[in-house]
Amino acid sequence: MSDNLEQLFVKQLKDNQNIIHKICRLYTNDEDAHKDLFQEITIQLWKAFPKFRGESKFSTWAYRVALNTAITLYRKSTRAVATTPYESQKHFLSQEEYNFEEEEQIKLMYQAVQQLNDIEKALVFLYLEDKDYTEISETLGISEVNARVKMNRIKGKLKKILNP
Amino acid sequence: MEELDLLKKAWQKDSHSYEQISEVEIYKMLHKKSSSIVKWILIISIIEVLFWTAISIGYNTDEYMKKLHAENMIVYFKVLNFVNYAVILLFIFNFYKNYIKISTTASTKQLMQDILKTRKTVKYYVWYNLGMIVLSLIAGFIIAFAYNPKMEMLKDKIAHESSYYTLCITLGIMLLTIVVFVGLFWLFYRLLYGILLRKLNANYKELKKIDL
Repeated sequence: MSDNLEQLFVKQLKDNQNIIHKICRLYTNDEDAHKDLFQEITIQLWKAFPKFRGESKFSTWAYRVALNTAITLYRKSTRAVATTPYESQKHFLSQEEYNFEEEEQIKLMYQAVQQLNDIEKALVFLYLEDKDYTEISETLGISEVNARVKMNRIKGKLKKILNP
Repeated sequence: MEELDLLKKAWQKDSHSYEQISEVEIYKMLHKKSSSIVKWILIISIIEVLFWTAISIGYNTDEYMKKLHAENMIVYFKVLNFVNYAVILLFIFNFYKNYIKISTTASTKQLMQDILKTRKTVKYYVWYNLGMIVLSLIAGFIIAFAYNPKMEMLKDKIAHESSYYTLCITLGIMLLTIVVFVGLFWLFYRLLYGILLRKLNANYKELKKIDL
């Protein structure tokens, strides 16, 4: 039974691992930190897995646990990193649609997002994942109105970072 | 906000490829906590042996024996010392084996068994060390009685006394010394390994909870 549950968990996690990778990408700025956070999130998910009753999709549940882990871990170390060597090597746009100006814009935006605090990052992350405000509020445990207000503030903050 | 939506579009397409983690690697991550505790058990046991070795280098038993004219006992001590180190090395080897096993196992059932085995190994190790302390204390008393000239008076008194008063007191003091020493070391081991064992036990319980 235990091995079955574990197998199920491992398979689900493997199939949904890009969620965690994306969160790690947003919250960390080098490969080692990325791996550490990935592992920590995996352990937290596994610990919480017996409570996961399949009422929501695995991915929705994983968003919540993973973001909470990232937020608690990075609460104390508010590292604002403007430039990240790890990120600068990677491109956002694929080769076919590569557009220098757009790529630069995206990079700057991404760097601006990196300067946000842990909770703001979580909101932006869910926004980037195309979640609506209902889902954002459920995942983060805040009200929908609060989520909207926060998101507007974040947009303001990002504008300020981009055009100081 | 135009830039954010640009980022969103790029984010959704996700041309960024992440190094995919395999199932085996995920299993390893799940068992990481236990393996790090077992790693600490291994490290502490090695440090402990080094510590005692360093102390015994500072204290020369051979010279002490020579002073007591108990040279014929030296060889026994050498053998005892040798056997002791052999046994302890065997324990450390076992700790190492447990560590390797726990950090590579892929199944929870196997991990639970390995945790139980590690706990047992640590327990035997502590019992062995306590036993060795009792044994060396007794050996120390015997040597003191047999060779230390300062003991002559006491021996005389015990031999010529009709009541067993002095004998009882002497034995009582010895017993008390043994109890105090063993108690102190027991406390020391409880602190050193007890914390790690408790953590390991908590892990075990956590695994068991999942094992419905």
